Amino acid sequence: MPHFFSNKRLIILLVSIIILVALIGFSMKKRESLTLPEQFLKDSAGLAQTIFYKPANTIAGFFENLAEMKQLYKENQMLKARLDEYAKLYVQYEEVKKTNQTLKAQLDKEEDLTDFKVREATVIGRSPDQWNQFIYINKGEKDGIKPKMAVISPQGFIGKVTNVSLFQSTVQLISDNDRTNRFSAIVQGERNIFGTIEGYDPKRQALLFKKIPVDAKIKKGQKVITSGLGDVFPPNLLIGEVIDIEPDEVGLTQTAYLKPSADLYDLDHVMVLEREMPAVDESLKEKEEE
Amino acid sequence: MKKIFLPFLIYLAFISESSLMQALLPQENNMEWQFIPRFSMVMILFIAMYLNSTYGLVYGLGFGLLTDLLYTDIIGVYLFSMAATAYITSVFSRYLFGNLIVTLLLSIVGVSILEFFVYGLNSLIGISNQMIDMFLYKRLLPTLILNGFFAILIYYPYVKQLNLLKDTLKEN
Repeated sequence: MPHFFSNKRLIILLVSIIILVALIGFSMKKRESLTLPEQFLKDSAGLAQTIFYKPANTIAGFFENLAEMKQLYKENQMLKARLDEYAKLYVQYEEVKKTNQTLKAQLDKEEDLTDFKVREATVIGRSPDQWNQFIYINKGEKDGIKPKMAVISPQGFIGKVTNVSLFQSTVQLISDNDRTNRFSAIVQGERNIFGTIEGYDPKRQALLFKKIPVDAKIKKGQKVITSGLGDVFPPNLLIGEVIDIEPDEVGLTQTAYLKPSADLYDLDHVMVLEREMPAVDESLKEKEEE
Repeated sequence: MKKIFLPFLIYLAFISESSLMQALLPQENNMEWQFIPRFSMVMILFIAMYLNSTYGLVYGLGFGLLTDLLYTDIIGVYLFSMAATAYITSVFSRYLFGNLIVTLLLSIVGVSILEFFVYGLNSLIGISNQMIDMFLYKRLLPTLILNGFFAILIYYPYVKQLNLLKDTLKEN
């Protein structure tokens, strides 16, 4: 086709490819904050999404209810069985809580590394192409949300806040395959085994838990939680359950496959956690004043 | 008023993509098929076919940039893919007569070109790690079906609007 590849068009094509590569290179490095026009775009889109999500959710919810109705009886039976278990656990929990409180009081320790502030948010949208796993929530800078805060659903850890504009923010799910989307995590057991969560395997529908030492023995069904190392995420948030273990390609480490405890596809209400840690310099200041 | 009507319409389709994904995904996941809404792209393809290639290119660039900024982390992938897709489709449409069947066919071809572009670029960067057979069967096929339905649904009212717009453009 002579129309398609005249000289001028070829040059335009080449130039646009160069611009494309430059743009991708520019945006691949992580930026901490958004520029003003970006914030404005995100806020206006967030507003439109808020209007859209209600009717969309209602319609989807209706079909979901129909599907759930079929399993209701079975589920009820199972839940009844679990109720006794719950009562037992609750008594134990109260006891442990009380002991913990008294012990803390004895130690004169008020602030804890595991304390965090919870903010509820509603999911108003989701990145439509499945390559990027982002969800959008209706709380932003004005509600005190900052980048890098941990986000959980009632079932467990789901991701972190990446971008914040005034009225809405973007959450990157743990299943996103971005290079920088990595979390330090531990396998719960007699001895804590450390590793990092690095991406998602769509074929097995499982998270990849890599960099586990070769000699570490992990069984299927063990729970994996956030480590809380690094001062970003609170520790002890449930991530998932080990379903399979394999040696690495090189054989120096092991890779485990995790079934995420939270349903990463069905998210309506999420909670954003802010870690409350006593800043070091503030406590020093107080002592000086004394 | 007339000038912002078309961008506004596409913007609505663009926003509805993310809402639809949020509402549709739980059911979709049970079937393990990925229906990806590309409504804004389909509407831009119609523009490229019924108005002219420059309009298609400009809208492709604009909404490509918007998609990059709002729905992804990396600027450039959709900017390039959507503009290129709109242009290629407009070149095809010069040789074909515009009726429902041809329009549907070209929209499907356009959406698959977009999917291939985005898949290729994302694989290059390392965002997607899906195998090609899974991509073709579990993602491309359902996506084409969904967007084909959308194209049929909007065909009559939307083409009428576009023809009206074309007449006013000619008058000016």
